[in-house]
Amino acid sequence: MKYSYIIPRKKSVFTAEIQLLLTFFSITLGMLFITYLFLLFKDYSFLSDMDDIEVVQSELNINIEDMQEQITFIEKENLLAQKVQTQNTVLKDSIANLFDLVPQRITLSEAKLLENGLVLYGVTPNKDVYNFMLQAPLRSIFHRTYSSFHPAENGWLRFVSTNYIDEEINLSQEIDSEN
Amino acid sequence: MKINISRQHIYLLWMLTFFLIFVLLFAFAVLIPEGKEYRKDRTEFKKESKELRRYQNFHDDVEFRLKELQSENRNIITAFDATFDPYRFQKQHRNYFSALTLSALSKVSDDDEFIVYEVNTTSEISSPKSFYEFLDAVNKSDWIISVEFPINFKRDGEMIKSSFTMKVYSANNDSNSTKKVAE
Repeated sequence: MKYSYIIPRKKSVFTAEIQLLLTFFSITLGMLFITYLFLLFKDYSFLSDMDDIEVVQSELNINIEDMQEQITFIEKENLLAQKVQTQNTVLKDSIANLFDLVPQRITLSEAKLLENGLVLYGVTPNKDVYNFMLQAPLRSIFHRTYSSFHPAENGWLRFVSTNYIDEEINLSQEIDSEN
Repeated sequence: MKINISRQHIYLLWMLTFFLIFVLLFAFAVLIPEGKEYRKDRTEFKKESKELRRYQNFHDDVEFRLKELQSENRNIITAFDATFDPYRFQKQHRNYFSALTLSALSKVSDDDEFIVYEVNTTSEISSPKSFYEFLDAVNKSDWIISVEFPINFKRDGEMIKSSFTMKVYSANNDSNSTKKVAE
């Protein structure tokens, strides 16, 4: 007894339609997962880059602070150097003025330049020469002027002139001028 | 009326439905939040990058200013960093005096930034002009030096004996790194 004349074909679940469908599914899922992985990677990359930026920023901050400290210090050095140079120049001018102040008829034997004063030792032919030619200009510069005389061997007079500038008066004058 | 759908088509329909649900769930639950996160991070990153560029520009400006100051004030910086050498000072300035003697250096103040040394000087000059020239030379010397009161001038025959105090200013390099940078 024969049941069939044809050889039974092998049946498979993966028919052409299913295969097509699975290919389509795989491609779609693949694209979805690739997109997801791309987003994950970019997120990670952004976070990592932001961490790097923070590190660089804090390094820059430290550098900036350090450089600003150096700038401040150099500016202070510059100011101090200028102050010292000005002080030396003013001192030079003060000494030059002092020696210019002394008339030819009076001879100085010693001069002490103090912070707020001046002490002069010398000889003068007489008191009048001293009073008119040295004391008068000294009085215009200093607030307090004291003079003492001793006779010298040659008939001239040895003198000691002590002159002071009062700081308090200076301060009050400055305050008045500011007001 | 009877709808005749083969078993294979039913399977196909199920798979399609399952796939659609999966895709929708994946998109709404995972992909879209992740996309939002991505956009947020990208905006943040751009903001941070902009801020970094601003910092970098400011850093460059400060660095330029520092280099400019260092080159403008190279002599002053070097003078503050130089250690005072009395022998060299005497050698450099002996032309202005007939005799020049310096006492030992003593430290008078030491703050965070500057150290001030004091040195007493006795000298002999032939005329006040030499002293003026010395004061000009001090301003151009290798150190930052100020001549301080009191200054004494005493006639001694044809010469003038002078005594005065000098202050030598030096950078306190323990607390400042200018020297290192200047080099």
